[in-house]
Amino acid sequence: MAGLTRAERPPAPAPRKAWTSRAGSWILPIFTGLAVLYLFLPIAVMIAFGFNDPAGRFNFTWQGFTLHNYATIFRFPQLTEALINSLIVATISTVVATTLGTLIGLALTRYDFRGRGPLNLLVFVPVATPEIVLGAALLAFYVSVGLARGLSTVIIAHIMFNISFVVITIRARLTGFDRRLEEAAMDLGANEWATFRKVTFPLIFPGVLAAALLAFALSIDDFVITLFTAGQATTFPLWVYGVSRFGVPPQVNVMGTIIFAIALVFIGLQIWMQRRAIVSAAPTRTDR
Amino acid sequence: MRRLRWLVPYLFLLPGGVWLLVFFAIPMVTMLSVSLQEGSLGAGYALTFNFGIYPEVIERWSTQFLRSIQYGFIVTVLALAIGYPMAYTIAFRGGRYKNILLLLVILPFFTSYLIRTISWKFILADNGFVLGTLKEIGLLDAGFRLLATPVAVISGITYNFLPFVVLPLYVALEKIDPRLIEAATDLYASRLQAFLRVTLPLSLPGVFAGSLLSFIPAVGDFINAELLGSRNTTMIGNVVQRLFLTNNDFPQAAAISFLLMGGILVGIYFYARALGNEELTR
Amino acid sequence: MSQREQETDLERAIARAFARGRYSRRAFLGRTGRGLLVAGSALSLPSILAACGIGPQASPTPGATNGNGNGGTGTLDWANWPFYIDQDEDTGESDTINQFEEETGISVNYREVIEDNESFFGTIQPSLAAGQSAGWDMITPTDYMCQRLIRLGYLQELDWSQLPNVEANIDEVYRGRPLDPNNQYLVPWQSGFTGIGYNIELTGREITSMDDLWNPEFEGRIGMFREMRDTFNFALLRNGVNPTEATFEDAGRAAESLLEQAPLVRNYYGNEYTDGLANGDVALTMAWSGDVYQLQLDNPNLRFVIPDEGGNLWVDNLCIPTGAANPEAAHQMMNFVYQPEIMAQISSYVQFISPVPAARDVLAESDDEEEQALAESELIFPSEATLDRVYGYPDLSDEAEEARWLELFQGVVQG
Repeated sequence: MAGLTRAERPPAPAPRKAWTSRAGSWILPIFTGLAVLYLFLPIAVMIAFGFNDPAGRFNFTWQGFTLHNYATIFRFPQLTEALINSLIVATISTVVATTLGTLIGLALTRYDFRGRGPLNLLVFVPVATPEIVLGAALLAFYVSVGLARGLSTVIIAHIMFNISFVVITIRARLTGFDRRLEEAAMDLGANEWATFRKVTFPLIFPGVLAAALLAFALSIDDFVITLFTAGQATTFPLWVYGVSRFGVPPQVNVMGTIIFAIALVFIGLQIWMQRRAIVSAAPTRTDR
Repeated sequence: MRRLRWLVPYLFLLPGGVWLLVFFAIPMVTMLSVSLQEGSLGAGYALTFNFGIYPEVIERWSTQFLRSIQYGFIVTVLALAIGYPMAYTIAFRGGRYKNILLLLVILPFFTSYLIRTISWKFILADNGFVLGTLKEIGLLDAGFRLLATPVAVISGITYNFLPFVVLPLYVALEKIDPRLIEAATDLYASRLQAFLRVTLPLSLPGVFAGSLLSFIPAVGDFINAELLGSRNTTMIGNVVQRLFLTNNDFPQAAAISFLLMGGILVGIYFYARALGNEELTR
Repeated sequence: MSQREQETDLERAIARAFARGRYSRRAFLGRTGRGLLVAGSALSLPSILAACGIGPQASPTPGATNGNGNGGTGTLDWANWPFYIDQDEDTGESDTINQFEEETGISVNYREVIEDNESFFGTIQPSLAAGQSAGWDMITPTDYMCQRLIRLGYLQELDWSQLPNVEANIDEVYRGRPLDPNNQYLVPWQSGFTGIGYNIELTGREITSMDDLWNPEFEGRIGMFREMRDTFNFALLRNGVNPTEATFEDAGRAAESLLEQAPLVRNYYGNEYTDGLANGDVALTMAWSGDVYQLQLDNPNLRFVIPDEGGNLWVDNLCIPTGAANPEAAHQMMNFVYQPEIMAQISSYVQFISPVPAARDVLAESDDEEEQALAESELIFPSEATLDRVYGYPDLSDEAEEARWLELFQGVVQG
């Protein structure tokens, strides 16, 4: 049998445990579906309580349905401001951290150079440091160099911790990267930049995207480090925590729901656009 | 230009490296020096190189250290157990919708942590719509509770770090060439064998990254223990929080942080060796 | 529910106002239009740019003055707790702040950034320690944090010549407190009680004594605070010790009582005890008066009581940190809010204890029924009898002493 080519070899016998393979094929998607449901359970509660009509300042007991909260989402001007700040900080820090982190990842996995040990250390340690110490250390640093606290100092801090998360995530993609693909491209006349654009980047893109998503999520949800470095500025998590002393108003749930809805719409658009792309890419009679 | 080729890796790591150096390393060196200082806010601090603080801290807080490591370990195992199948499904069955599914996984993060926790406290309330119903139909006994127990704390931490596990795992799995698996099954491997002998080993970098991204922050977490736990679930993060903010005992808080960081780094080193060094720490 | 659907928005809002007792019809009817304008401007370009840190910053130049006390200019940067000033229900605008801005021309940058005393202190401490401005002209910390700030020299002395209204209207009980014997640094803002909040349906009976917090009958459903002074006070009171005279030995015995209690305690809470109480996870817990009042509106089973053994009286104070850019503006605001009409306006919304007794007369004489009811409220204007049953906190002005107490307490709450 060994000497035969693949085409010549008799087909593999049907798997002995047919039922497990059939079972296996639907167990996974169901499990994932359940897991996603689990992820969204508290979100469902959040959305529901956005419609609550509490008599007091707290929003813990269901009193009745109302749309009033939706009508008054700008009731808290600082909430809107906080939300916008969070988005600005998250976007900027994600873009910068992903870029810097990807570069470091590339350096670490493709090149041999002196100082990779210390660099590894420098990258791992921020993840291991308790946020409160990170936040306080940064604040002390800012004060000592006279940097005024505000959104910019928050962004600096977020970039800092995000770089580590990006590097760790993206290395899972970069290790074992087949350099021969790049070599082939260069043999075919592409210069470094073109190779990167057309070969390397598309191949590492899923890793870059995943790392960027992670960095964005981390930034938008960060509380402790932001608390110390924000000065007078507020971000969404800071605002919510501050208000929680006297009760979390339903408008916060509403904001959360709106964010969620926007993301869903965005996802829906993606799906729709992909369907169109497939349709338009289908061969028509005018193609060969 | 060719002669400057050796510069390339340094150029790549320069921006990020400098950023980390300035905004992480320098503040942390300051913190290290703080840990060796003695004094107080009012009386002022003096750098007395009080290395004795480290053994003191280990002795005083050993329970909390161990508890945190234990919780961190359980969280990582759970997160991998839940996250691996999720990442696998998205990578191999996701098709066109891969990116969308990934976005769905981190979507819960866009709402505030506090809202999610309040929602969980509502869901898991002793007599809420889940536990209350189960108690009424007799499946659970009246005194049963989930909140204010280690179970709630561990579940809370796992919930929060699940995306941190799914994303790196996805990244590693998605990279695997499906033809390798096909080849294995062609060679008469069962699907399980193909998974164990081909997919799993190839996904190890993702397992490594995912377990780091859940274990490390989990050990230092304080907020879940604070909101979902009780006195007996106090983690080392809570200790640091209290020492720092309430007691203003900066040296002790800094010392604990460095012990935590050091311990974790040592752990990572051995973990990487266990998983097969070369690929992972390149 | 269907009847509600038929009511107009206006009617529903008024009905809610009566139910909550939070603001007068006058406030609601007067401000809606203006409010919408301001809400829109929150998203205007200048405010977005300001959010990015671009544009004119209030520069923290220590000691910057703006002329004499009357008709000042500039900005007042005021850090306060959320929901701690009168706010229009739908727009978030504060009458008090708007009126102040109109009268004085000073623009107020009112930020509700204080979530808890300790983390707020953590954010201002490095600047103050370095002799720089923390970015605030006026802050509103609670007693014990004020004690720490005074001890560290982080507060400016007040110029009472700029505070005639405070001098005239302050409740005598706030003069010469052990914390600030010559009233050099602090002007009280609002006060409140710490007592026991409980769910009568879950406890099955009325709770009147501290002993019930130690009662094995409620095992696993008792809440205590993780803040040292409030919790130690309760243990001290239960042991029959007056907290303001407590010694470290008393604290030791109090800690022992707390350790005995620990197996029964569900958790040591910060601000978040409220959802446990609302969800029924705790049957009884240490609580703040204002919170329970709010929770009661949604769940009439919840009660608040000052235990027989005693309760705590805490005070949030206005004070001026060192390096403040505009201390004159801070003085003007302090002076402004101590007018009885203004304080009445604030208290009727905030519903904590008012430091201005004359405000009660303003409310009692109002045409508004709700406001009249507020004048009778124990929550806002407690009687002598009630005030006699509450205590202040131990004097821990000595840093080393405070550190010992804190360490003792940490052993109780972190196992």
